[in-house]
Amino acid sequence: MLELQRNVIFGQFVETGSVVHRMDARVKIVVTLLFIVASFLIDDFLGFAVLLPLLVAVGVFSKIPPGYVLRGSRFFIAFLAFILAFQVLFYPGDVPESSYLWRWGILSVSTEGLYTAGIIALRVILLYYVTTMLMLTTSLVDLTNGLELIFGPLQRLRVPVNELVLVFVIAIKFVPIFIEEMERLARAQTARGVPFDEGGSLTRARRIGRLLVPIFISGFARADTLTIAMNTRNYRGGRYRTKLRQMHASFSDWLALTLVVVWIIAAWVV
Amino acid sequence: MQPDGATPVLELRGFSHTYLNGTPKAGEAVRDVSFRIHHGERVGIVGATESGKSTVADSFAHLLRLGPGQVFYKGEDVAADGYNRGRLRREIGIVFQQPDSQIIEDVVGADVAFGPTAAGLSAPETRERVEESLNTLGLPYPDYRLRYVHALSGGQRRRVAIAGVLAMRTPVLVLDEPMAGLDPRGRKELLGLLIRLQRDRELTLIVCSASLTDASLLCDRFIVLDRGTVVMDGPVREVLREADRLAELDITLPEPVVGAREMRKLFPDFPTDLLTEDELECELLQRLGAA
Repeated sequence: MLELQRNVIFGQFVETGSVVHRMDARVKIVVTLLFIVASFLIDDFLGFAVLLPLLVAVGVFSKIPPGYVLRGSRFFIAFLAFILAFQVLFYPGDVPESSYLWRWGILSVSTEGLYTAGIIALRVILLYYVTTMLMLTTSLVDLTNGLELIFGPLQRLRVPVNELVLVFVIAIKFVPIFIEEMERLARAQTARGVPFDEGGSLTRARRIGRLLVPIFISGFARADTLTIAMNTRNYRGGRYRTKLRQMHASFSDWLALTLVVVWIIAAWVV
Repeated sequence: MQPDGATPVLELRGFSHTYLNGTPKAGEAVRDVSFRIHHGERVGIVGATESGKSTVADSFAHLLRLGPGQVFYKGEDVAADGYNRGRLRREIGIVFQQPDSQIIEDVVGADVAFGPTAAGLSAPETRERVEESLNTLGLPYPDYRLRYVHALSGGQRRRVAIAGVLAMRTPVLVLDEPMAGLDPRGRKELLGLLIRLQRDRELTLIVCSASLTDASLLCDRFIVLDRGTVVMDGPVREVLREADRLAELDITLPEPVVGAREMRKLFPDFPTDLLTEDELECELLQRLGAA
């Protein structure tokens, strides 16, 4: 309860100075987008198995402790398991009589249902893993700059790229802030006699429910403060801003990008 | 174990704490801190920023992850299995450093009533406590009861936060930087109030601060922390005698002590264990008379 940050790492940045951290942010973003596309294209277990070594390699090279990532994904995995249980039990597709493993009224477990749920699970885990790795290894500034540079050309079509990127990055970075806020509120209530570390899981869940309204209120207050802070420093969209550090994609960045493209195609084709 | 005169109210035994231990964001806050606090003591836990004061304060009410055998309340290990933490928190009131981290409800009266309500007090009893606490802190109950917290000034919010803890009538009161953000008059009033409350209710009072200005008038004993460890522990005057060392630790000294350190340029053996301007004046007059 009191160190919620252990259990939710989405949106956090952890500096380890690894090769992955030093990669050009644009390349990392493009690679992430490629993986997202791959997660929709690949539709069998073999394809995901081919991708696995590449994903493990990214994790190893990033030097971020795997235990930290796993523990930080506990809530996410629990939630996913919950959703997939429904997917299996209420599987809507046509199922031949022979593949039913268990049946009770409208509830059933069939091999088809399990297979589909397995693929969906792998897709969602892939999406979650690559976006989490991107955020764990890319600082806020690099992420913003990278996105602005990649989508910059759309500005000619009058798409407000800077504003959209800003909103996107702030939205993601608000996740850890919300978690901190939740910890703060839980601590305040605990100190005054409403314990968050006692009682069964249902009681605990109900107590967390009571934090929701205050968290939204403080979220709006924070957004207000952020607006004032940006206005007092004369923030204007990226068109009027110059960069202190220019991004340069090196040979190794191109190499990594090519490797990922080839690998994804291989996983798709098999 | 039944508490008796000899059992300390609070005891830390080799208390160490690292935030987010085992993750890449781990940060060690305190290391091997041990001390005992007895009933009715007035203790100042002092040290510069990041010395671990707030971590120590949080440990008293088990507001962070604790291993067994580190924190004891009335002789009982608060991290033991089956220990009644709810009762612990009804007996140890903590006023956080930031009032905003403390205030839960948006209306003043509701926030002050939060603790008593959670403790299961009846509505009339709760009302009486809210009224008393707000009045005590100079926020007249009829005027402030229905005010919105976010519309109050920083100083008023601090008073609301303190009122919320006072309303719980805890025998142990812990205040983390209670004077921050108050104007000189507010500080003087709060100082008087705390001294009075401590005496009338026989509270065990613990004040965390980076400044000894008010703490030296409020406390009998100082525990000095530096980067997470205890470096001095003793009666206020004894600690003030080491004024040079305190200054090195970035702790703000009380005015009379600052004056006394200046005097040392003239009289190298000038004492620094002075609490009031009067004592400084007295000492100075004696020296001048002798000279």
